[in-house]
Amino acid sequence: MARMKFLCDSERCIECNGCVTACKNEHEVPWGVNRRRVVTLEDGVPGERSISVACMHCTDAPCAAVCPVDCFYTTDDGIVLHDKDLCIGCGYCFYACPFGAPQYPQKEAFGVRGKMDKCTFCAGGPEGKDNSEEERAKYGRNRIAEGKLPMCAEMCSTKALIAGDGDMVADIYRERVLKRNGRPQSWGWLAAYQEDV
Amino acid sequence: MNARSGWKVVALVTSLAILASGCGVTVYEPGVYKGQKDPLLSVQATPEHKALLQERFTKGQTDR
Amino acid sequence: MKLVKKETHDTGTAGNTKGGLLGRTVDRRTFLRGTGIAAGGAAAVTALSPRMMQRAEAAQEKAADGEITIKSSVCSHCSVGCGFLAEVQNGVWTGQEPDFDSPLNLGAHCAKGASIREHGHGDKRLKYPMKLVDGKWQRLSWDQAINEIGDQILAIREKYGPDSVYWLGSAKFSNEQAYLFRKFAGLWGTNNVDHQARICHSTTVAGVANTWGYGAMTNSYNDMHLCKTMFFIGSNAAEAHPVAMQHILRGKENGGKLIVVDPRFTRTAAHADQYIRLRSGTDVPLIYGILWHIFENGWEDKEFLAQRVFGMEAIRAEVAKWTPDVVQDVTGVPPEEVKRAAQTMAENRPGTIVWCMGGTQHTVGNNNTRIYCVLQLALGNVGMPGGGANIFRGHDNVQGATDFGVLADSLPGYYGLAEGSWKHWAKVWDVDFEWLKSRFDQAKYEEGKDQVSAMELRGITVSRWIDGVLEPAENMAQRAPIKAMFHWGHAPNSQTRGVEMKKAMEALDLQVIVDPYPTVSAVMSDRKNNTYLLPAATQFETYGTVTASNRSIQWREKVIEPLFESLPDHVIMYKLAKKVGLAEQLTKHIQVNGEEPLIEDIVREYNRGMWTIGYTGQSPERLKLHLANKHTFNVTTLKAEGGPCDGEYYGLPWPCWGTPEMKHPGSPNLYDTSKTVAEGGLPFRANFGVEYEGKTLLSEGSWTKGSEIEDGYPEFTADLLKQLGWWGDLTPEEQKAAEGKNWKTDLSGGIQRVAIKHGCAPFGNGKARCVVWNFPDPVPLHREPIYTSRHDLVAKYPTYEDRKRFWRLPTRYGSIQAKDYSKDYPLIHTSGRLVEYEGGGEETRSNAWLAELQQHMFAEINPADGNDLGIKDGQWIWLEGPEGGKIKVKAMLTPRVGKGVVFTPYHFGGWFEGKDLVDKYPEETAPWVRGEPANNAFTYGYDSVTAMQETKASLCKITPA
Repeated sequence: MARMKFLCDSERCIECNGCVTACKNEHEVPWGVNRRRVVTLEDGVPGERSISVACMHCTDAPCAAVCPVDCFYTTDDGIVLHDKDLCIGCGYCFYACPFGAPQYPQKEAFGVRGKMDKCTFCAGGPEGKDNSEEERAKYGRNRIAEGKLPMCAEMCSTKALIAGDGDMVADIYRERVLKRNGRPQSWGWLAAYQEDV
Repeated sequence: MNARSGWKVVALVTSLAILASGCGVTVYEPGVYKGQKDPLLSVQATPEHKALLQERFTKGQTDR
Repeated sequence: MKLVKKETHDTGTAGNTKGGLLGRTVDRRTFLRGTGIAAGGAAAVTALSPRMMQRAEAAQEKAADGEITIKSSVCSHCSVGCGFLAEVQNGVWTGQEPDFDSPLNLGAHCAKGASIREHGHGDKRLKYPMKLVDGKWQRLSWDQAINEIGDQILAIREKYGPDSVYWLGSAKFSNEQAYLFRKFAGLWGTNNVDHQARICHSTTVAGVANTWGYGAMTNSYNDMHLCKTMFFIGSNAAEAHPVAMQHILRGKENGGKLIVVDPRFTRTAAHADQYIRLRSGTDVPLIYGILWHIFENGWEDKEFLAQRVFGMEAIRAEVAKWTPDVVQDVTGVPPEEVKRAAQTMAENRPGTIVWCMGGTQHTVGNNNTRIYCVLQLALGNVGMPGGGANIFRGHDNVQGATDFGVLADSLPGYYGLAEGSWKHWAKVWDVDFEWLKSRFDQAKYEEGKDQVSAMELRGITVSRWIDGVLEPAENMAQRAPIKAMFHWGHAPNSQTRGVEMKKAMEALDLQVIVDPYPTVSAVMSDRKNNTYLLPAATQFETYGTVTASNRSIQWREKVIEPLFESLPDHVIMYKLAKKVGLAEQLTKHIQVNGEEPLIEDIVREYNRGMWTIGYTGQSPERLKLHLANKHTFNVTTLKAEGGPCDGEYYGLPWPCWGTPEMKHPGSPNLYDTSKTVAEGGLPFRANFGVEYEGKTLLSEGSWTKGSEIEDGYPEFTADLLKQLGWWGDLTPEEQKAAEGKNWKTDLSGGIQRVAIKHGCAPFGNGKARCVVWNFPDPVPLHREPIYTSRHDLVAKYPTYEDRKRFWRLPTRYGSIQAKDYSKDYPLIHTSGRLVEYEGGGEETRSNAWLAELQQHMFAEINPADGNDLGIKDGQWIWLEGPEGGKIKVKAMLTPRVGKGVVFTPYHFGGWFEGKDLVDKYPEETAPWVRGEPANNAFTYGYDSVTAMQETKASLCKITPA
């Protein structure tokens, strides 16, 4: 079974914010809400690296684990989604998420007030038919239902951000790493494995 | 509340729940999604949809 | 519900998980966002809802008729030429999809391209024609506006002559609009026409064309997959050309070495194998320093130099002066860094060089661009895949607008302004030359040593229009100063000397702003009357062609109808032409539908005249065929593999020789002798004569594949064809047209066809030259900036002497440099781009999706300087230039800039000396984000050949606000 994954290749990410505005454009994300953001480390000095971050659609999603109203579900492809009708906007998932993905619009956004909003992997939510007006209004566009992949990755300026079946993503990434003389240079690698690599 | 009385409460709640279910009341099952069903789930299960996504991936995510 | 205790690991840099990575605020993006979100956000949320509704409404209507149309267009924010697909429902632009088929971007976008659909909303657009009456904006009809403007310019023409109306055009025009605009100015009778290329790459065009023939990018972004070295100097592609980085990083993954030279540690430098920090304005010494090692070690390509290069000995003589210690003193670069770069380039060939505004926008800009070329010539790196000079142009169509001569010194196709050039175009336009001549001021004016008629005299440049207004008439080489200004798609805040510009605007009789947005021009001055705002449509509300940096021409489809009351630029040109009595001449052979000249006919007309640079083979039909078959082109070579375009290069990159029927495939990499000319190969252009001081300027022992002349040869003329015995290859009709003509003026294309048939390049087979004897510095020299931080070096490397007449105006150099400003203004001030905004930024700062990401104008200051000045990160400061221009901005302390250097982004506008001018915008048109224009603090200084402005090496001082 395929599992949908994002991967951001930090050797290619140039912090152009294309992914951020692609997301805003596709889902009409209001000002102040960031389903995706680019983070830069070591800004302005050698070693500077950027990565694009959003909901990582965790296999064992901590947000779902802590949700007091159980509004999260995971699709067969491993996309973590939630039901805004159930969400009470408590912010517990924000505590749990290691990536700060959940957003809490200050004002009304996506037709609802105070509910948590996050990246849907462009897969909408549990509302009416796929790509119905209701679903779009509450969750944004459902590209997965249309047979398309997340807009952020599809528009990434350098193809640093890759989204799709984890195995296929890994194939692309592995090939690039091999080309770069086998050095693991992805952001997160050193963080994850420290100096044991 | 000590451990013993705790057990009593659990037993009471459980038996009440069993009774209630018979009367059309839903049992609250922790950790299980409570929301509406997403129609995407049935779409995703079809081989056609998987092929579509795979084709899209090859077209858009590779360097070509 | 199960509660799982989250384990925390200390993972070094990534360890701070408080609030998660999305909550971190460590970088420039999140810099000072705090209050901005609250203030701007509240305003935005209310204003954003209508457009969300717009989409929802369209979606609803969609259910009724269910039709989504897909339109293919090209992003208008930089020269990479990224294709995108627009989804349109019931006339509303409801969706944007990546165009994976485009070989230039493969669907990719930066922040600007990924939010291009905002153009379909146009919340902040200028909605109808307006004029300023007693300090208030008043709505008026198109007819009234055109009538009033037309009457006024006719009156000004009558009283002061045609040169008192200035036609400032745009790199945002399509090729057809650019061509029509230049034609219009010619028919009006002036050379006071120019556009942003002047302040972008004019020094490139002049320097590079004078080195090897054409002043354009030689290869392509895609071709960089094949580079073994990529040497960037004064280019920050990661922010200015983000999608180019896709190709650059692919090149790097293929083993290419990336070297970045810049005063700032840019986002491009972050990906480099070697980063070199140089002092602003010392490019020439640095390159000489590199050449010193190349010659010292014998790394130059001796065969290439012998066959294809003229004058390298003169360079060697200059190189000898630039020993490693001298280079270090002047540039600040340690000797081992210079040597390492030289060695990398020598050992990894072919390599390319890339430069942008960091190299061009200097008083010595033309010296910089020429020395870059010289470096590539020394290494033998020109004329092959993976080599060349990849000069990244700025705006989406700045290459095209330059090619079509929206310039004060040329007609379309770089024909210049000589009588013969006017005759050539008069013939193409089918207008009487004598009539055309009569349209100009009949007097002659001083230029250098000569007296030149107004028709052949270079106009005032966009960089100097301010002086064209303010300078007394007796100091100028024209009858009267400028009285009326058309800002037709121009951001005034992209120009230096903002304080003086404000005065110039106030001194104008008439100001006309033609633009989708009011622009800073509408608000920066204190004019009370007689400023007109005419709403132009964007390129997504019309159709036509656009030339990417690599010379590929792409066809844009119309996405939506013009929004509000806006009109496409060519319609506005036609309306105005009709009003001033020039419509007949403007569109003699162009069909006009209603008031819209037919784009296809404009293409066909310029196809008949653009022989010099081969814009003759790209018929509308061929370009549309490329549009429909994008997917068939190889993403590295850009060559179609099979399909209806088989063997052609994407977008028929110019030169695409001869007539469309000749089916030339376009030239992917200039001066590549490994291909036949018919297949897109070329030698260097023989454009400088056949010999100089007794030495040949024709190539020796080098020719393109299949050439029947196996040596150098001059450019083709009717006489040369006769000498070679090839005259008979022309058809009788071609012979008739070609008699007495040359490859540039033969309207039948026969001379080009026959030359290519025999394997020869129409423009000859010459040598590239390192010595440009017609320039102020024939061998590129180092000259300290006018406002130098190293006044001690002025004695040894002085700037030029002041000039009495230069592009019609007195121009100062030495008289400014004579005074040492570096004590009172101790910091170097340099400027550049941010990825979210483009140019003056009016369009992009009006796009909420972009504006949210950069909400404040700021200045980057080294933390050590900040501490010395007692300035903290995020605090308001005054930044003041040595001419008194001052701007109030936020301080950003960062090691990105070296000690003693201040960097400002130049996209902001809408403030003046600390004051937000929001109230001066017409209702509902003020951009989401406004800020102080960096250029208000920038100073005097112009390139010695092209009058390019100096924006990269000035001085400033900083005080807490």
